[in-house]
Amino acid sequence: MPELPAPVSQPTAPAPQAAAPVSQPTVPAPQAAAPASPSGAVLHSPLRRRLPNRRLALVLFVVMLSLLAAVVCAGIALAPTATATDFSQKNLSPGLGHLFGTDWMGRDMFARTTAGLATSVLVGLLAAGASACIALVLGMVAALGGKKADGVVLWLVDLVMGIPHILLILLISFALGKGFWGVAVGVALTHWTSLARVVRAEVIQCRQAPYVALARRLGRGPLDVAARHMLPAVLPQFLVGLILLFPHAILHEAAITFLGFGLPPELPAIGSILSEAVTYLSSGMWWLALLPGVALLAAVLLFDRAGACLRSLIDPYRAQE
Amino acid sequence: MDRREFIKRAGIVVAGASTLSLGGLLAACAQDGAKPNDTGGVGTGTPARTDQVIVVLNASNEPAAGFDPFFNWGCGEHMHEPLIQSTLINTTRDMSFVNDLATDYRVSDDALTWTFTIRDDVRFSDGTKLTARDVAFTLNGIRESEGSETDLSMVEAVTAPDDSTAVILLNRPFNALLYTLAVVGIVPEATYSASYGNKPVGSGRYVLEQWDKGQQVILTANPDYYGTPPAMKRVVVLFMQDDAALAAARSGQADLASTTALLANQHVSDYEILACKSVDSRGISLQSKPAGGTKTEGDDTYALGNDVTSDVAIRRALNYAVDRDALVKNVLNGYGTPAYTVSDGMPWASSDMRVKCDPAKAVEILEAAGWMLGTGGIREKSTGSGTLRAAFDVYHSSSDTVRQALANEFANQMRGIGIEVSVKGLSWDDIYPHMYTDPILWGWGSNSPSELYSLYHTEGSSNFADYSNPTVDGYLDAALQTQEVSQSYPYWKQAQWDGTTGIGPDGAATWVWFANIDHLFFKRSNLVVAEQKLHPHGHGWAVLNNVDTWSWK
Repeated sequence: MPELPAPVSQPTAPAPQAAAPVSQPTVPAPQAAAPASPSGAVLHSPLRRRLPNRRLALVLFVVMLSLLAAVVCAGIALAPTATATDFSQKNLSPGLGHLFGTDWMGRDMFARTTAGLATSVLVGLLAAGASACIALVLGMVAALGGKKADGVVLWLVDLVMGIPHILLILLISFALGKGFWGVAVGVALTHWTSLARVVRAEVIQCRQAPYVALARRLGRGPLDVAARHMLPAVLPQFLVGLILLFPHAILHEAAITFLGFGLPPELPAIGSILSEAVTYLSSGMWWLALLPGVALLAAVLLFDRAGACLRSLIDPYRAQE
Repeated sequence: MDRREFIKRAGIVVAGASTLSLGGLLAACAQDGAKPNDTGGVGTGTPARTDQVIVVLNASNEPAAGFDPFFNWGCGEHMHEPLIQSTLINTTRDMSFVNDLATDYRVSDDALTWTFTIRDDVRFSDGTKLTARDVAFTLNGIRESEGSETDLSMVEAVTAPDDSTAVILLNRPFNALLYTLAVVGIVPEATYSASYGNKPVGSGRYVLEQWDKGQQVILTANPDYYGTPPAMKRVVVLFMQDDAALAAARSGQADLASTTALLANQHVSDYEILACKSVDSRGISLQSKPAGGTKTEGDDTYALGNDVTSDVAIRRALNYAVDRDALVKNVLNGYGTPAYTVSDGMPWASSDMRVKCDPAKAVEILEAAGWMLGTGGIREKSTGSGTLRAAFDVYHSSSDTVRQALANEFANQMRGIGIEVSVKGLSWDDIYPHMYTDPILWGWGSNSPSELYSLYHTEGSSNFADYSNPTVDGYLDAALQTQEVSQSYPYWKQAQWDGTTGIGPDGAATWVWFANIDHLFFKRSNLVVAEQKLHPHGHGWAVLNNVDTWSWK
């Protein structure tokens, strides 16, 4: 920052008495707040007291994860409320009694949205976890298993990436009879490709490292090397990739349910909430689509930011940023 | 003439012409200022043609196979008068018959031979004469058509001994065939081909002028029609989803737009809600046999049986406990009537099917049968092998929000008497495997008593309850054998309840009927829609049954 002195002195200039507590000890006299007297102390003092980058990232990460965990817990707790219908309370717009309003069967939309998010996060957790495991195994096999194994894995990656995601999930989900497992397996089997590529590249890079070569020379078997020396090096990238898979998984779950090939309508899910809302938009019930949609967006953004925080914490290339 | 000269001259000509025409227009206005748009242009502000009506139907009503009775036009799953073709006979508002193509018909003493005399002044719209041979061709063709939705399995053969006589031979007595004949349009034998559905030739009130698939159908009055010429000369039918239909009404593009109970609370100026009463009943089927059986239909084998609903006490209690008025009020916003049978309002519906909502009596029935309150407020009954919970699933089509809401409100009500109902939404393909095991929220109701036979007779094609009672079968068979259909009404009613036996709520109670759904439309206020028959299941073409007598005021 080239113009460091200016912002420091600015807050103190208009209201000398109410000077910021940070600048008070560094500025000797309130009247001497002119830009002409920057002492050395000012230059070195922090702009404002703030947490170190890493600690901030950690706090943010923990806060976001606990927010998501809270949503899941609340969703599970609210699941009975979410499906309870009360026809004396139908079509209410958002208010104090019902924060997100109610739908045409008098179901509380706040409970439905929370329960739907919980379902989405759980499907996402399952699918992203499974997807990441597939990616890890295939990435390792590709990098360590020789030319032929590499060829097969890369071909598989190209095959899966060559088919549009939604279409493939739709096919898998339909073949498995839709429902919770259809969606979970569908999302799990389609999201591993880019992470597998990342893992493969990391492992290949790691394989060239002197300490790995040394381990091989010292007689360690390939599996042993993979587990002891490669996995720890690849783990940061893998964890970040895992977290960043969530938003994709959740959005695809919602999309497939929206299209009617996912979760059944009696299970609260954002996708089914949105697809039902479409019918009611023309009768002016905007809250059915808007609020759950925003909630889904918020959940996805939370995951995305949590992933970014984690990356800045454990990714060796980004940790110093 | 060079280019500049050409432009100059052309400019003069155009300017002169427009001045002239403008002057002419002004003069015309001065002469006849009251009717500036008399030429009948289609510009904005032009009043609608007084002999044309624009109707919006839900997109699902566009006939996929075209206007071909060999598939489903008119006489399919959703019955209506075929308009383009004419029928042998017609039903009136009180479900009696009037002749259309027929001038007379009689039935043999064994009720197996129906002889129709055909009028001889009828021509198809391509000019050829309609004869009894065309009638025989049509009926035989429908019976043999693979894609037909019409059940003509009771027809043995149809012959035409001469041009004006058609003879229908049945393999079993079935006088309800007359109701089917009232919706079967007669097609010409000479020109019928596989592509008939796209270019139908008939002798009905209208001819197909234009069909833009996925958009609209335009019908114009048939100039050679043998009956009263249609007052409404042109009928434009647009196919839209519900919200587009609402938008079409708002923008004044439609004279009649179909809608649902949910959107019917929207105010559209110059439009009013037309609520057509219907026999379009919603209800659930209740399996009458315990679990473990199977049912074979063609190549498919279905699991059959349900331990809970096979107890007649449960079925009767459900019938007494359900508050049908609340269903109509809460789910249908009042646009409906309580349903007690598949055919409420029809002359063959029995008043003994009506029950008063009485949860106390339901509880009494349950407790007398050993269903006692257990954990969580759900009743249980001890059987030889353990305890059975009074709990079952109800399946509904996941795309139908009205059925979803009906099922949920039903589940709420049943919790009050200690029966746990879980609502499950699936696609129809996934629902059908459950039809002989679990209650399914069906839509039924037609302008024919044959549905009573399909649903309740041992041999019925839709006997989901697997119900079999010789007394009821006897009444149903007797009803189909009478010489006059009006004589059959008492038998149909006795099959429902004869004082001791029947399918009614005090008898087998194999169905719980919830409500008849009004068919709703936004109607332009000055359109006069003629009085309607009770609409059958299927919210679509039935409203146009008498479009030829509609008018503008």
